[in-house]
This record gives sequence, structure tokens and C-alpha cells, in this order.
Amino acid sequence: MARAGRYVVVGLGALIMLFPFAWAVITSLTPAGAVLQTPPDFTPDGAGFGAYERLLETMPFWRIMFNSLWIAVASTVFQLVTSSMAAYAFARLPFPGRGALFAVYLATLMVPLQVLVVPLFIEMRTFNLTDTYFAVLAPTIASAFGVFLLRQAVRQVPREFDEAAVLDGAGHFRIFALVVLPLIRPALATFAIFGFMASWNSFLWPLVIIRSPEFMTLPLGLANLHGQFTTEWNVVMAGSVVSVVPILVLYLFAQKHVIASVAQSGLK
Amino acid sequence: MAGSARVAAATLITALLATACSQGSATRTEEPAAGGKVTLRYFTFSAAPDHVKDLDTIVAAFEKENPTVDVQVETAPYDQYFTKLQTSIAGQTAPDTFELNYENFVTYATAGSLLDLGAAGGDTDTSGYATESLNAFKHDGKQFALPASFSTVVLLYNKDLFEKAGVPLPTADWTWEDEQAAAEKLTADGVYGDFQPVTFFEFYKALKQAGGEFMAGGKSTFNSPQGVKAAKWLVGKVGKTMPTEAEIGGTADFDTNLFKSGKLAMWHNGIWQFAGLKDVPFAWDVVVEPGDSQKASAVFHNSVAASTTTKHPREAYAWAKFLSSSNVAATTRIASSWELPPVSDQAVLQGYLKDPVPANRQAVFDSLDSIALPPVIARQQEMQDAVTQELTEAAAGRKSVEEALTEAASKVDALLG
Amino acid sequence: MTLTEVPAPAAVKQPVRPPRKRLRYALTVAVFLLPSAVPLLLFTLIPMAGSLWTSLHEWNLITPMKWVGLDNYADLLASEETRAAFGHTLYFIAGYLPLVYAGGLGLAMLLNRAMKGRDLFRAIYFLPVVTSWVVVALLWKWLLNPASGIVNWAIGLVGLEGPGWWTDPDWAMPSIILASAWKDLGFVMIILLAGLQAIPNEYLEAARVDGANAWQRFRRITLPLLSPSTFFVVVISLINGFQVFDQVHVMTGGGPAGATQVVVEQVYNLTFKYGRAGAASALSWLLFAVVLVVTLIQVRGQRRWVNYG
Repeated sequence: MARAGRYVVVGLGALIMLFPFAWAVITSLTPAGAVLQTPPDFTPDGAGFGAYERLLETMPFWRIMFNSLWIAVASTVFQLVTSSMAAYAFARLPFPGRGALFAVYLATLMVPLQVLVVPLFIEMRTFNLTDTYFAVLAPTIASAFGVFLLRQAVRQVPREFDEAAVLDGAGHFRIFALVVLPLIRPALATFAIFGFMASWNSFLWPLVIIRSPEFMTLPLGLANLHGQFTTEWNVVMAGSVVSVVPILVLYLFAQKHVIASVAQSGLK
Repeated sequence: MAGSARVAAATLITALLATACSQGSATRTEEPAAGGKVTLRYFTFSAAPDHVKDLDTIVAAFEKENPTVDVQVETAPYDQYFTKLQTSIAGQTAPDTFELNYENFVTYATAGSLLDLGAAGGDTDTSGYATESLNAFKHDGKQFALPASFSTVVLLYNKDLFEKAGVPLPTADWTWEDEQAAAEKLTADGVYGDFQPVTFFEFYKALKQAGGEFMAGGKSTFNSPQGVKAAKWLVGKVGKTMPTEAEIGGTADFDTNLFKSGKLAMWHNGIWQFAGLKDVPFAWDVVVEPGDSQKASAVFHNSVAASTTTKHPREAYAWAKFLSSSNVAATTRIASSWELPPVSDQAVLQGYLKDPVPANRQAVFDSLDSIALPPVIARQQEMQDAVTQELTEAAAGRKSVEEALTEAASKVDALLG
Repeated sequence: MTLTEVPAPAAVKQPVRPPRKRLRYALTVAVFLLPSAVPLLLFTLIPMAGSLWTSLHEWNLITPMKWVGLDNYADLLASEETRAAFGHTLYFIAGYLPLVYAGGLGLAMLLNRAMKGRDLFRAIYFLPVVTSWVVVALLWKWLLNPASGIVNWAIGLVGLEGPGWWTDPDWAMPSIILASAWKDLGFVMIILLAGLQAIPNEYLEAARVDGANAWQRFRRITLPLLSPSTFFVVVISLINGFQVFDQVHVMTGGGPAGATQVVVEQVYNLTFKYGRAGAASALSWLLFAVVLVVTLIQVRGQRRWVNYG
């Protein structure tokens, strides 16, 4: 009985969660004139892939996808490496001023991006780096959010594990790579998704730093569908649907990975 | 923990120094391009997404005439355009030439960001321009930008709905009373008679139609009997002949879709909507907006300006002039309904009338006989937002029209300083 | 400013090292930290210092900066709008945080147990997290449409009259809170799931053998062992909650009647719409001060309830 109840709760919730996405898909298949009716028309006439074709023709779509993908992947890899190393230091390597330094890390999350964009632009300008891939990528090499998330995970790893390794004569690099990293794989997989998402959806910074169309990323391309007076909502929705897909794929991959890692880690 | 405090202090000082330095050094290190060619950047909001190809046509013609210049087009959507432009000016990487609308022109001209095009070009022939357009982009007697395009606001109407309801079609002689009477008859069975957004832009125009002034002598003057009348005219439609804010549901393009689906009889909107209405399954036409004590139609102007930091003032001027007044530019704009060129040559403009829909295209030119330009101040956007917000309060019934206008006037006066 | 932390056992019995070893240890620490410290310094801390500098100026981005000292701060502190913006932000947090944590925890517990289609359900609950705010906002505005929305229709079925939701100044913030909690449920769920999976099964097994019922196991084992994840969720949600922007920007733009004008919406308008970058920076630093104090209180308080294995 309780079991059936659980399915009902989880299932109903799932329907509510699916709803907006289904709506975005349907709108993207709706011909331009018929979109955004209230209430929405869930069985539009003349449905088709016109909006997706328009997406391909109004912008260098594949180029944009390629840019967004490689920037997001690179930034995710950078963040995983830099954050997990810092997390290990903050959780396992005591040194004077560690608490203060961690506070500085956290403090970087506390000033809104909106006021950092202009000084950062000026800084990039001084280094002659505006309108480059590097400039787009730079602010996402390190992530204080990731350091914090992974530090919490490292602190949850029982100390007996590294103490055993120390007895075997292992140094910090080996403990980090061979003991700690495998044990925090669920947290790494979680962070990979958020790191990817942050870069994939990032808008304001790429907007100001990029000016050549060849460096354009997906959110910028989608924003270009909003004209001064009119917006092609079906194309915007098609773009939104397309933009969700890579993250969803990554999520499904990471989820498998998380479960596999827990099964292998010997924690069960 | 003293050590960590030192680290933090050192970090901060280094950071401050670096930023201070970045403020000081502002050398341009780009260009010149290979082969003695000059690269000229042009930044625009009106081209994307629909007119990129038309702009390419104009660029190609310009480059053919000026083989040493390579025009590099950069586009951004209107919502983000000024974010990008401001940041690039702050970072001293402003584009050589860029588009500016009339409302923002004064801010940039006052800030000293714009090149005096009259002096830069060395030629002062402005005979090709419509004088009124040209004057709109003068500041302190200097030509800081050249008018590139304009569009006007008219009354669009659904002929079929009028005929079905047995209401006579709108004419150029209509006043507010005629419009209101027709709107009341047409509002029924899910059809709305009228749609005019309650915003700053509609208000300053309605104010002029009622014979009022927005400001004079550095003070707001719209909190007047005419102002109250204009605001009541706009606010009074909401929930009667026009959907309420709640019904609109905050959906962008709600009015466009309402009109396209044949459920809106009269629609105050710009001529930029014409292209999107090509395939609607009903007959429609346009007419000059009804007035009150006088006629007044809103005109939106876009211009092309050059940055004071450009290294190629002559080329910048040549491009600005070509984009705004050349025959290629004018005919390309007309052929693609990409707004209208501000040229004085009537023969070119006649091309606009050839398109059969809407039949009364002449109304677009007629509307220019008595235009209402928006009031422009240095803190433009704050003023627009303040007025729109107060009018919205009145439309939602949370304030009386009089209270809203008093409040708006005091806000605007504070902005005028 | 120092953060007192739970002293790690290793720190307590840290031996006094000979100089060579100390140098080696310092190098090790540096190698672990520099890859993140250098980029953070270059691409976040320096711009932060830049914005601190900006906050002492009047600047519209297109004219040279003008030094005004602390005037921006004085003006903001005296302004009614600043107080309102902070008030609205706190209102948002007070509604959002309990909702999203309770919901996320419930989901994580439900979806941590074996059941058919569990992976699929998890993916579905994660969908709103990855869907853009533009889409989500459009949809919620329709769901909560006072005239034709499905929510008010349902309320009407039970004979009540639904509120004006985001068109009514009193209901606009609850609307945003509802939409935000709904969108971020999956975020909290995924963090807590990762935490739940790190709890060794033997602990729960042992408790079961000792005769603890489900509630006791949750209360005495799961919740304490989940506390590092909870701590993370609360700290991050507060930091993000104080900077709430996207949903407000696309759902109400700060309206109606300024009822949802939150701090960062104000910052955005001041910087990019109103040409007052100096005031925007000053406002950001006021926000920074508040968030820093709130975070420090949490970090100090964590030793009372956060349990690191």
C-alpha cells in the first residue's frame, strides 16, 4: 500500500515536472502564427519541423553548437581538476590561514556578476584578449562553488581510508588520486553537470566579450531570435529544446556513473 | 591568523593596482589590415534577425564604391545592444560606427562619445536628407549622427470585423470619440475593439494629440488637464475595449497574435508590422491615428553615428553617409520593408506605395505631416520606466489617474535635476 | 576575518616538522591550491576590486569616471528603494529556502530507495533545472494567469476565487517563490542524493538490526550523516537567493508596482539601463556585506550540527 502511494506521489510530481518541457516541444512544432495562445493549444494544426529548419538557416547553427560544446567541456574539465585539488587541500591539508582563504573563495560567490562584467572586460582589454575563446573560458576555469561542493564530499570520506594509505607510505598526491577521488565520484559527477550547465547557459559575459560571429555561443544565438519588435517564439522554443539535450545526455551519463561508482567503491 | 590577513591585504592591493592601470592605458593596437585596406566596424540592432541580407547588399555596394574599405558588421538584439555598446565604450573598444535610436542619441552626444560627422567628412552636402530627420540628430549645432531610417505608428484595423459589425471604417478625420464609439460596438464575443499599450511612448503622443506638452523649461508639464485627459484615454480602454494586464498575461506579442487571429479590430502599432501580416486570412488596412484637439503621430528614428575613438573618421563618415542616404540603401530598405529611408527624394519614396497591401500606404506618409517626437533627456530610460510604471498603476486601478500623474511628474522632475 | 572550523584531527596532532619537510609540505599545499587560486584571483577578485573602485565614482560607462567618495553608499543607505529591495530579497529567501529544501529532501529520500523506473524519475525531476528560465517563466505565467490559468481554474472548482498572482503586488512574490522552488527542486535533490549515497549502508543495517524504526533511522542516522550536504545546500541557496535575478527579470521585471524589485534586478537596471554603474557597484557591495555576515554565521554555527564522518 505504502509502495503504491509512493508511485502515485512520485508519478504525479513527475507529470508536473514534465509539463513545461512538453509544452516547449509542442510550441517548437507549432507554425509561427499559432504560438503562444492562452490557453496553449496542445494539438496545433500544421505542426512540423519548420522552426528547427529556421533555426538552422538563421544562424551558423553547427558552428555555434561546436563552440558551445567545446567551451563547456573544456570549462567542465578545468573546473573538475582545479576544484577537486583545492577541495582536497581545504579538507585534508591544514595550514595557517586556511579558514580565511576558504572565506575568500566563498566571497567570490557573493558579488553579483552584473557588476563584475565591466571591470573584467576592461581587464581583458588590457591584456588584449577581448573577442577570443580564452576570454570566454577564463572566468570558468576555477569555481568556488565546486571547491565548496567537493570539500564537503572529501570531508565525508572516512579518515581511516587515508590513514591506511599513509601507513602504506603514500604521499598526498597518491592519496588524492587513488583514495579520495574514487570515493567522491558521486559528488564529482554532480559537479560536472553543474559546471557544464553554468558554461553552457552563460549569457552576459559571452555577450559583452564576443563580437565576432565565429565565436558565438548558443545562448547568444538564441537571443538573436528576439527582434526589436517581434519574436519568433516557435524558433526560440526549438532552440531551448535543442539546448536542453546535451545537458540531459550528460545527466543520464553521470547518473549511471554515480550508481556504478557507489557499487564499486566498496561502501555498500 | 596574521599571515592570512596579510595575504588578503596584498591580494586586494595588487587587484586595485591592476584595475587602476587598466583604467589608464588605453592604446589601440589593432589594424591596419593587410593590403592597405581599412577595416571599419559597424554595430547594429535593427538588422538581425530579419534584414541581415539586406544590410549585406548595402555593404557590398559600399565596398564596391570604396575598394579600400572593408566593413565588418556586428549585430546584437535590441534588448542587449546597449549593454554591449556601453561595455565596449567603457573598455575603449567601441566600434568605429554604430546605430543609435533617437531616444538614446542625446545621452551619447552629451557624453562626448560621438564624432562630429560634419567636421569629419569635410563635405557638408546634406541635400539628400529630409530636413526634419537631419535636425533630429544635431546636438549643440553639430551633426553627431546621420538619420538612417524611420518608421511611424498608425492605426491598423481589421476590415472584416468592421463590416461584420456594421461599423463604418476609420478615416483620417476620426477623433478619439469616433474611435471609442467604434471600439465599444466592436467589443463582443471574444473580440476586442482596441489595443493601445499603456506606456510612456503612447502617453507622450496622446498628450500631444490632446494639445499638451510633456516638458518645458527643464520641468515636466504633463501633469496638466491635457495630461489627465491623455492618461484617461489610455487607461480607460483597459478592461473595457482592450484586454487587461491579467488577460494579456505578460506574454510578449500578445497583441500581434490577437490581431493575426482576427480577434482584434483596431491596433495602434508601427509600420514594421506590415511584413508579418502578409498572410493573414482577413482584409486589413491602415489609417492615420485618430487625434483629439490635433493630430500627432509617433515617429521612431534610427541613426548611424561614429565613435570619437575611431582611427578612420573619413571612412566612417563615408559609410554613415552611404548607409543613410545612398540610392542603394534607400531602395533596399523600401524593397524589403526595412523601415523607411529619411531621404528627400520623393521618387524613391514612391516605390513604397507600390506594394498593394495595405491599400492605404499613403497614410504612412500622411502621418508625417504632424509628428510627435519623444521627449529626450540625459536619464532617458529612467524617465520612460517611471512614467510607464505610474500609468500601469492607474490602469490596474491601484491609483487614480491624477495620483499617478502627480507621482510621475515628481519622479521626472527629480531626474531632470 | 577568520573562520573557525571544526579542527581536523590531523591538525590537532600535527607533528612539528623539520624545515626541509616543512618546505615540502608548503609546496604540496601550493600545488593543490594554485590551479584554482590563480584564476580566481585574476578573473574574479581583480574585477571585484575593480567594482569596489567603481563604487566610489559616478560613472555611466561612456563618460570618464568622476570621484564621489562614499556618496553612492550614503545615497543608497538613505534611499527608500534600497530598503525595499533588501526587504523583497529577504521575503524571497524566507519563502524559497524552506520550500526547496523540504521538497528536495523528500524527493531525494523517495528516489534513493529501490523502485521501478527510478532513473527515469530522477531524470524527469531534473528537467526543470536544465530548462531555461525564459521557457519556465513563460509557462508559469500562463499556469498562474489570473484570468485563464489552470491554477485559478482548479481553485475555482472548489468554489474559491483565485488571487491575481503575479499581476497583484501582494501575490507577485509568492508566484516567483513557487516557480523558483519548483525549478530548483531537482538541484537540491541531486545534491542530497549524492550525499545519501555516501552514507555507508552498514550503518543503516546495524541500526535496523538494533530495532530502530524508519523514522528513528532517518532522524538518528540519515539526517546527521547528510548534514554536510545540507550545510552545502543551505549556504549555497542563501548565497544564490540573495542574488536572485533571472526569474524576477523574466517573470515580472521587478513589478507590479515594484513589489518584486530585488537587489540584483536593481543592480542590473542601474548598470545597464540607467547609466549608474557607480551606484550599482555600491549596492552590490552592500549586498556582499549582508551575504558575508550571513555566511559567516552559518560557518561558525556549523560545528553544532554538521557531522563530518
